[in-house]
Amino acid sequence: MKVRPHQIPGVFVLDRQLATKGKPLYGEGTFDGYRLWSPQRSKLAALLMKPAHVPLAPEQVVLYLGAASGTTVSHLADIVSLVYAVEFAPRVARDLVHLSERVDNIVPLISDAAHPDYGAIVELVDLIYQDIAQPRQAEIAATNAELFLRPQGYACIIIKARSIDVTAKPKTVFKREVKKLEQLFEIEGVYGLEPFYKAHAAVIARLA
Amino acid sequence: MVCIRTWFGDIELHDNEIVRSQGLKADVPALAQRVRQEDFADFDKRVRARLRELAIKLRVVSSEQEYVSLLRAVMLQIAKERIIAAFAQPEARIIQLIDGIDDIDQSINLLSERLSEWCLLRSETSVPEDVLEAFVSSPSAKSALAQEFADSIRRLCDLRQETANAIEGEMRANAPNLSTLAGELLGARLIARAGGLEQLARMPASRIQVMGASNALFKHIKYGSKPPKHGVIFQHPLVRGNRPSNRGKIARILASKIAIAARLDFYSKKVYPELLSQVEKRVVDLQTAGHARTS
Repeated sequence: MKVRPHQIPGVFVLDRQLATKGKPLYGEGTFDGYRLWSPQRSKLAALLMKPAHVPLAPEQVVLYLGAASGTTVSHLADIVSLVYAVEFAPRVARDLVHLSERVDNIVPLISDAAHPDYGAIVELVDLIYQDIAQPRQAEIAATNAELFLRPQGYACIIIKARSIDVTAKPKTVFKREVKKLEQLFEIEGVYGLEPFYKAHAAVIARLA
Repeated sequence: MVCIRTWFGDIELHDNEIVRSQGLKADVPALAQRVRQEDFADFDKRVRARLRELAIKLRVVSSEQEYVSLLRAVMLQIAKERIIAAFAQPEARIIQLIDGIDDIDQSINLLSERLSEWCLLRSETSVPEDVLEAFVSSPSAKSALAQEFADSIRRLCDLRQETANAIEGEMRANAPNLSTLAGELLGARLIARAGGLEQLARMPASRIQVMGASNALFKHIKYGSKPPKHGVIFQHPLVRGNRPSNRGKIARILASKIAIAARLDFYSKKVYPELLSQVEKRVVDLQTAGHARTS
């Protein structure tokens, strides 16, 4: 298999599959020290398959809202220097904690991102990544950006149209959400995640 | 002058210089205790950017690497505690038990089907509804393996009964009003669907009414088909036991009362035994009104 570097340092392309370098953590496929990163299981992987400019760099500290069981978090931890992973639902958070025990640059936070109680814990971050599928997600992103995102810092926000308004057309929902985000951020790009995820989009934004 | 309270200590800053400070020892249990108890105020971004540096200045840690590994150890401990606490809630037990019942039911059905196939092998042409009953007197009962099989099903039936008893106990203790009104099993199912008693208590009655009929509901919202009359609430004898033309109205009445019952259980813990009879009375009114119209 031919290994090529992706445009983001720390990400690799094996044939047509994405991968990061590290020990396997959740039963993902491996090849020669690379952990395969499936776009079916991770929206960030799906985004990286697109010709999108994703602001990820090795020295970054990331605040990850909606970490779930930690699949994406584990790959992100291979790329950046530290990930603060926030998840509220105890069922999936259990997997996240189990995973964090084995990776030395993930800090798990069992908290509600809508009411951050980690104000005295999380430092200033370079990037907020949000995948929480909630109607109020733009507001939640803003709350956290105001507290934790450094000036000129980035936000990568995954919008699931179906979680915000099932009856409206996804495009309308994306427009509405982008409008909300524009109050605080400068929008750098909006990318649909088809064909991996239906009615999902990723917004790349920058704190003004 | 700014006073800030961080997870590793208290600091007073004047013009970005440390005036007074108290750093804690790099002791995981003690730091976890601090994070657990204190309600920290949020602080300025300029201070937030310096957390690692301040921790080193306060001699809590000696390097950035140490900062991360100490913070990680503390937060792992807190995370584990929070997860254990979440699973210790009575709702978590109720949800586990009701999911368990569903699993057992599926297994019983699956194995019963297999057993009836088995009976057919022995050229028994028809197998009645209750496979276990029929099996005892059938020629297949001579087979030791088939007996084992039937015993497993019986054990599962016993297990189901025990699980149901456990749910009844939990529900009586934690949601008495909901139990009286909806029955322990249906009540537990509603709690499980909502994700907890609090979530159920905060739900509008209209949502409780169609909970479990989400496909039909979204078809209605999206394409304008007929809205669903009832979701899991259909299992209630008052809904199921009445004629279809009345079921929608009854489901609506019952769901409103269930919403009230859940709120009573979550917020006040008082017991109101008359909830069910109030619903029953309205159902009787409905039935007589229907009769009057048709006659």
